[in-house]
Amino acid sequence: MKTDLSPRMKVALYGLMCILLIPFVFPTWWMVTSSVKPISDIFAFPPDIIPRQFDFSTYSQVFELQPFARQYWNSAYIAALVTLGTMIVSSMAGYAFARIKFPFSNAIFMVVLLGLLIPSEVTIVPLFQMFLSWGMINTHWPLILVPVFGAPSVFATFVMRQFFISLPVELEEAARVDGLGRFKIFWTIALPLAKPALGAVAIFTFLHSWNLYLEPIVFLSSTQMFTLPQALTQFTDAYGGAMWNIQLAAATMTALPVLVVFIIAQKQFVEGLAHTGLKG
Amino acid sequence: MTNLAHDISKPRRTFWTMERRDAAAGYIFIAPQLMGIVLFVLIPLGLVFWYSLHEWNVLANTFNFRGLGNYEQLLRDPALPQVLAASAIFSAGLVVFNMSLALLLAVLLDQKLRGIVVFRTLFFSPVVVSLVAWTIVWGFLLQNNGGINGLLQMVGIEGPNWLRHPTTAMISVIVVQVFKNVGLNMILFLAALQGVPKELYEAARVDGAPRFKQFRRITLPMISPTILLTSIITIVGSLQVFAQIAVLTQGGPGMSTTVLVYYLYQQAFQFHFFGYGATLSILLFLIVAVLTFAQWQMRRRLVFYEN
Amino acid sequence: MAPVTLRSVKKSFGQSDVIHGVDIDMTDGEFVVLVGPSGCGKSTLLRMIAGLEPITSGEIDMGGRIVNDLEPKDRDIAMVFQNYALYPHMSVATNMGFSLEHRGASKAEIAERVQWAAEILGLEPLLKRYPRQLSGGQRQRVAMGRAIVRNPQVFLFDEPLSNLDAKLRVDMRGEIKALHQRLKTTTVYVTHDQVEAMTMADKIVVMNAGRVEQIGDPLDVYDAPANRFVAGFIGSPAMNFIEGEATAEGFVADGVVLPLAATRSDLAGRTLVYGIRPEHLVLDPQGLPATVKLVEPMGSETQVSMTLAGTTVIGVFRERVRALPGEVIRLRPETVNIHIFDAASGRRL
Repeated sequence: MKTDLSPRMKVALYGLMCILLIPFVFPTWWMVTSSVKPISDIFAFPPDIIPRQFDFSTYSQVFELQPFARQYWNSAYIAALVTLGTMIVSSMAGYAFARIKFPFSNAIFMVVLLGLLIPSEVTIVPLFQMFLSWGMINTHWPLILVPVFGAPSVFATFVMRQFFISLPVELEEAARVDGLGRFKIFWTIALPLAKPALGAVAIFTFLHSWNLYLEPIVFLSSTQMFTLPQALTQFTDAYGGAMWNIQLAAATMTALPVLVVFIIAQKQFVEGLAHTGLKG
Repeated sequence: MTNLAHDISKPRRTFWTMERRDAAAGYIFIAPQLMGIVLFVLIPLGLVFWYSLHEWNVLANTFNFRGLGNYEQLLRDPALPQVLAASAIFSAGLVVFNMSLALLLAVLLDQKLRGIVVFRTLFFSPVVVSLVAWTIVWGFLLQNNGGINGLLQMVGIEGPNWLRHPTTAMISVIVVQVFKNVGLNMILFLAALQGVPKELYEAARVDGAPRFKQFRRITLPMISPTILLTSIITIVGSLQVFAQIAVLTQGGPGMSTTVLVYYLYQQAFQFHFFGYGATLSILLFLIVAVLTFAQWQMRRRLVFYEN
Repeated sequence: MAPVTLRSVKKSFGQSDVIHGVDIDMTDGEFVVLVGPSGCGKSTLLRMIAGLEPITSGEIDMGGRIVNDLEPKDRDIAMVFQNYALYPHMSVATNMGFSLEHRGASKAEIAERVQWAAEILGLEPLLKRYPRQLSGGQRQRVAMGRAIVRNPQVFLFDEPLSNLDAKLRVDMRGEIKALHQRLKTTTVYVTHDQVEAMTMADKIVVMNAGRVEQIGDPLDVYDAPANRFVAGFIGSPAMNFIEGEATAEGFVADGVVLPLAATRSDLAGRTLVYGIRPEHLVLDPQGLPATVKLVEPMGSETQVSMTLAGTTVIGVFRERVRALPGEVIRLRPETVNIHIFDAASGRRL
């Protein structure tokens, strides 16, 4: 419905969007600013939109109260491994389901799609038992293996399959005539052309792993092994009350790097997600 | 001119025909995913069912077959109606609020306005903010003496203690979740809106259809496949909400925000009733399956247009 | 550079046969065009020759080797696709050298071959560009360059000109023909355009519904179509068909007597189809009356639709016919150019 708008209409639309923006932007602003307020100012009335005085000691306290650097590394390396692993597993499976004819491929695809229907919460009890019997409780293995091979990667496989279906099949036939086998066609033709879809899969997968909460609190028990979402909820005083400004400093450190990366690369982010076979 | 073709001296008929070699490659390609699905989805699903037939307390170290006993317990569980009601209210509120806000934002972002990309980026930004961090900030804002009530008081409104009253607590968890994730659906809707051929609008204008009619008669039918798909993703996602509840309300006050997943977590991992937890898992699986199936069935009635 | 022979080649998908046993002999260096309406199986047959589509039964022989179970890469063929299938993420030079890279050629050898092909096709200024930066005609040329670079035994073309505009199509037609005359590589060329087939082929294979209807030299196929399908498919505007009966006086249709050659007295008494090409109808004041329906002046000639013996026919005349719809003009079929087909089987008699 792109027709030129009247100036009055434009002002109204800008105004509406600015009001709508408040709940999207204000919490992040409040998180960052409150994290540098002394505890006495944090519930001040009227609220200080801009801090009156700065107290950066909250940031050093984060590292004193918890092995936060270690926890940061845990989350980062798990998310990186899960993202890379999912890209490999899903692009291979998605390619085969889209392109290769083999017996029972449709039936197997339906079985794999079952993963979309089964939230990981459904299988958390037996998964806990399985990893317990393999001696993998309080290790990071469950947080890596299940997302890469299990239900969470099914969505990625689906996205990759939709993308590969839309690639012109003649490209691969030309490659066959040019002397390439399946594996080389996949590696040198299909995969390089699938960069947009792979990008979307990488973003989804990274965020999913970065945000994982139920699984870490079920599978991990020692603070050294904790991931960030789990660690964030641990900043409490002796009576269980939240130490708000320290908690918000930790939250800021968790959220801000991803946010900055997103703002720099927002075009690839948003368009990658938008154009990935998700249109039904 | 050199001839670079290989000399072929293969027998005329081999077992490894072109089709068979390709099929073998296909199985190799799907092997990791398929093994993962068997190991981490199918076997656990079978085990959940098996566990649900047992009385199993990890602390007491008991594991006794009790047939459908857990299911009878489920039907008699006095907490269950409350839990299902909380889940239903949460999911329904979330889906309705999320889809309508996403559609509104997508339509706004589809306008010809300078700097629209900045707005798009900002509306989308909560999606990339760590979920627990986002929830913690909202928890902070929703405190009785927190930022929201502070802002309300500045304009003379006495705000409630949001997380301490059943109704406002439920509204809070829904709202927090919607603002976190509505950006995803917004982007999918925006892509769908931009995929509607311009000629259709031009034809409608020539036919004299006013704007709101163009939206109802052209836009909505054309993007209906996207609406269906995102509604399935959103509803299944809403049934999985755990972190927000655990951080904001711990299911309270009372049991007002104890949704099924949270109840399942409490039963299995706080009270160590694994058998009953497995039974609740089966219930969750059935609900997801039925809802998804129902939505696919609705596709015939509601999706006007499909490729 | 090899002869290609197809022996009772069949293809079925499940229960349904799409190619019903095809035999074709292509001699070394021949330019063979497979032509037919869409869905006739010509592209499937080409893809079977390429090895992209498995063969259900029968044999494909290339230069004395049965290639049924060989991968496309082992058949020593090159193919030009309808949408060109250029790798979008590779430059023109990389696209052209890609197959050599995978056949263990040295860098110097690849560069030399790519240079050679680029010179032939006038692609030298474009070698560093990417496919998206090229026009349709340029892409077409790169696709051909990719094919000739390897000096394969057989070229396969799958409707390579159908994505080009009319003028470019005529130019490229000439270029492909000239390239073939220079390289003398056996070529199989698929098209639905009978003009392309006529102008380019050494040998035409007319296909319909998974069967070969006729194989032959283009002009032979034009002058002596084996059956009613071929007669109607080859030639534009298409041949006119009039149904009727042969008698002692001639061919009677709707009470009108059309002339027959005296030698065809053997046909008397049979229900037949009378075929005459539009250019073989000539204006003659003593001829048969035909009611004009539409006159389309082309400049060099005039095309007239009219009703003759109760059937709509088209005539193409060198003269400028000035007649209004409803007027009657008189014309005469040239008896030497009349084709008679059996009404039931469609075979030419």
